[in-house]
Amino acid sequence: MNKTWIIIKREYLTRVQKKTFILATLLLPVLYVGLIFGMGFIAENSRETLSIAVIDSSGYFSASVLEKQNRLDSSSILTLVNNKSQAQLNEKEGGYEGYLIIPALDWKSGLDSLPLHTYKSYGSATTAAVEAKINRIWSEVVNDSLQIDLGKQLILTQSRIGIKAKNVIDEKSDSDTAEGIGYVAGLLMYFILLVYGSQVMMGVMEEKTNRIAEVIVSSVRPFQMMLGKIIGIGAVALTQFLLWIAFILVAYNVAKEAGTQMGAAEMVGNMQRLFTKVDVPLILFCFGFYFLAGFFFYASLYGAVGSAVNEDIREAQSLSFPITMLVILSIAMMTASIANPSGPIAVWGSLLPFSSPIVMMARIPYGVPGTVPWWQLLASMAILVLSFIAMVWLAGKIYRTGILMYGKKITWGEMLKWIVRKN
Amino acid sequence: MATILSLQHLKKYFESQKAVDDISLSIEEGQIFGLLGPNGAGKTTLIRMITGIFYPDQGDIIFRGKKFDPVNDVGQIGYMPEERGLYKKMKVGEQALYLAQLKGLSHREAKEKIGVWFERFGMESWWNKKVEDLSKGMGQKLQFVTTVLHDPRLIILDEPFSGLDPVNSNLIKDEIYRLAANGATIIFSTHRMEQVEEICHHIALVNRGKKILDGTVSGVKEQFKENLFLVETEGPAALSAIERPFTVVEQTNSKLYIQLAEGQSRNQALRFLLDQQIGIVSFKEILPSLNDIFIKLVEGTPVSRSFETKKDLL
Repeated sequence: MNKTWIIIKREYLTRVQKKTFILATLLLPVLYVGLIFGMGFIAENSRETLSIAVIDSSGYFSASVLEKQNRLDSSSILTLVNNKSQAQLNEKEGGYEGYLIIPALDWKSGLDSLPLHTYKSYGSATTAAVEAKINRIWSEVVNDSLQIDLGKQLILTQSRIGIKAKNVIDEKSDSDTAEGIGYVAGLLMYFILLVYGSQVMMGVMEEKTNRIAEVIVSSVRPFQMMLGKIIGIGAVALTQFLLWIAFILVAYNVAKEAGTQMGAAEMVGNMQRLFTKVDVPLILFCFGFYFLAGFFFYASLYGAVGSAVNEDIREAQSLSFPITMLVILSIAMMTASIANPSGPIAVWGSLLPFSSPIVMMARIPYGVPGTVPWWQLLASMAILVLSFIAMVWLAGKIYRTGILMYGKKITWGEMLKWIVRKN
Repeated sequence: MATILSLQHLKKYFESQKAVDDISLSIEEGQIFGLLGPNGAGKTTLIRMITGIFYPDQGDIIFRGKKFDPVNDVGQIGYMPEERGLYKKMKVGEQALYLAQLKGLSHREAKEKIGVWFERFGMESWWNKKVEDLSKGMGQKLQFVTTVLHDPRLIILDEPFSGLDPVNSNLIKDEIYRLAANGATIIFSTHRMEQVEEICHHIALVNRGKKILDGTVSGVKEQFKENLFLVETEGPAALSAIERPFTVVEQTNSKLYIQLAEGQSRNQALRFLLDQQIGIVSFKEILPSLNDIFIKLVEGTPVSRSFETKKDLL
């Protein structure tokens, strides 16, 4: 075991000391935040303010009404041009970006589709601004015709009955929050399994292509070599996540200190509300558990594949394809489970060892034992632990043979034969 | 001298072939032992059993008087495989430290020994270099150092000189002599006969999974000698046509290659030559080279086997 420890140390230190690790750990959160804000910024700026000419035959859209609305909302500008003809507007006369021709209208029925004629094509956010303005005018027309005053209007818009799901067994479960956390937890798990799993594969391949494998196995058992690599890389993944959690905590506390500033206060409030709604310690514990056990399960599979392939990266891709498919299938099951967290796909998905890290993590925020009964959680954990032990053992058998074999293309069938073989 | 390693009826069968088929061997402490054989003869499989990488299907390995224990005894063995290499991105010093620690040395011990070896090979300035920045010869030197760093009792070198220039070859060769003189036993696996002849005391020839020859280099040569002699003469020797106690294999200007007939002694041949009034400069026996013996013994066995093994090494 002492030698396994030396291997773990090397695998861990060489990776953690790499510039790429430090950069990725620091930059990924920055990129992530940047992406969220950037997307909002782009969406905000991609909307254009249209200047639209209006030829009105209904009499409802007078110059004064349009002017009043333009003052209230400047996301589009409507101008009455009853003195112009459609032919003139088609010639782009007046410098408008488009025009509306409103026919004679009955206030009781409105219009199904009024064409907005434009000279270029615009996105839906841009045309929606015009539609909203036209409808605000139209609502006033309808309200006036029905003699609904401002007080009644308020009642009409505000009085409604909302439905909110409440789990009687588990008071904490809140499906909206749970859905959000479930998605994030499931996707994080997916990310870990794929990224770090394939790192194990690449690491094993490196040892093979560098021809150091036989040198090492003359000092340690192949099993120790594989286990050391898996644990070492698992520790790297764990370190990265702990660092990210630390970032979040620091950011949270900084935001709390500067709580008076707008935006930050809202964020802190959201986080505090979130903590009261879900069982944070349980989620964190389960995340740690499924992270480690799931990683062991997939990493040993990836390690076995890495030992069987030669230098060729394409060979590695085709041989690891079935494993990648399992992870992607788990994501599909996760989506179904979030839609129905107590349904059969959710239950089976959280018991089967290949999908349980992702599916179970997406379900747990819905509440234990409300949505996930204790027996399911314990059974899922027990099955996963037994499976990963079996998987590490089987992978060790493949690894032992594969790591010393050069020049032959290996199939999954052959790898299975190595498992069954004696010795 | 004590026997350091004794193989008793070792067998290792793979699906497609009998890689090692009942081989027994005994190697004395301090010997330089040549393990010879064509490609795919079973040398690598045999070595992998001695280094604890494979378990034999049958038979025993006795190491220093006790049954070989792969987990604990590997610390006393240094193995440089034919397929060898190092972590390219790792620094030279860290790499040596790592491999030494895997052999069971403590960090401090390892560092001390690396210091000694690096000094001996003039590698002190390499410590912080990455392995990928070393030349091929430098890499081989480092590989050799990492193999013998932990003072192994048994050193197994598989084709140690492949890829080495003559200067580095000699350096490694001298180290092999020095290590053997200090009591280490060296198994030297190769199919390059001229090196074996130069370095080894003992050899064993393996072919198709079986041992076909075993003994000292001089003993083997003696065993396969063909009573060939080279006679150097003063000017061309004019041999009369009368019956001779030998046959002339080849004759050049002043050289005469003769093969003695069965039952004839050297003195009889010499007397005959003297009686012919031939001026003799030298008279020397020609022993067969190991290469000749090797080819003679291995020739005629199916070559297909070497392809079979390449494809399916296990």
